[in-house]
Amino acid sequence: MLEEALEHLVRGIVDHPDEVQVDLRTLRRGKVLEVRVHPDDLGKVIGRGGRTARALRTVIAALGGRGVRVDLVDVDRVR
Amino acid sequence: MTTADEQEEIVSEDSQPAADAEGASTDVSLLEREGDIAADYLEALLDIADLDGDIDIDVEGSRAAVSIVGADLSRLVGTGGETLEALQELTRLAVHRETGVRSRLMLDIGGHRARRRDELSELGRVRAEQVRDTGETARLDPMTPFERKVVHDAVAAVDGVVSESEGEEPERRIVIRRG
Repeated sequence: MLEEALEHLVRGIVDHPDEVQVDLRTLRRGKVLEVRVHPDDLGKVIGRGGRTARALRTVIAALGGRGVRVDLVDVDRVR
Repeated sequence: MTTADEQEEIVSEDSQPAADAEGASTDVSLLEREGDIAADYLEALLDIADLDGDIDIDVEGSRAAVSIVGADLSRLVGTGGETLEALQELTRLAVHRETGVRSRLMLDIGGHRARRRDELSELGRVRAEQVRDTGETARLDPMTPFERKVVHDAVAAVDGVVSESEGEEPERRIVIRRG
């Protein structure tokens, strides 16, 4: 449910909704929701001073994802 | 010393709808559209999260007002309304994406803002009267722009005191002094 919720929240605010991908990964240190967006949308998802990313994390925590990390994956840098 | 957000609040509270009827009707239809987009965005979220809630759309003054009402929505409000602010922020962005116009939409959940408005209004009045009577400057707890706006208004209704905001978000707080 958290992946779906996060995907919906992000899709609604970006210019390339079809390129939003959210994956839930279970790492040794805990669960991580990895968000991938079109490179042009990265700034939008982060927001001024990280404001939008913080809002996304707050809502996900409230929906039961406390302790689940939300990572914005910079597609350019991952390769 | 007020932030841009507070200035906006002040402008919106004080200004009357545009006299130009044509301009006003365009504005209202934009605000109604904002409400519809916001409702779709939030409704889908409630569905995904399996939360029960009804969404009301309204236009209050010069902004769209959207409220989610339902039995147990307290987790969407969060401590000190933190989650509510986050959802409002995201909803405004979702509206902006569709309309291309920056949205000043107001979101309420479970009547939280309405209740908080009453509490803060009372707090502002009581503290302002203390400052007026004792001359001692009062520093209030940090508040959101919405909360500060309510307190500024309550202080302004008391003679002999002034209020201003100090500090940076999220530690920005109201100071009331004799003036």
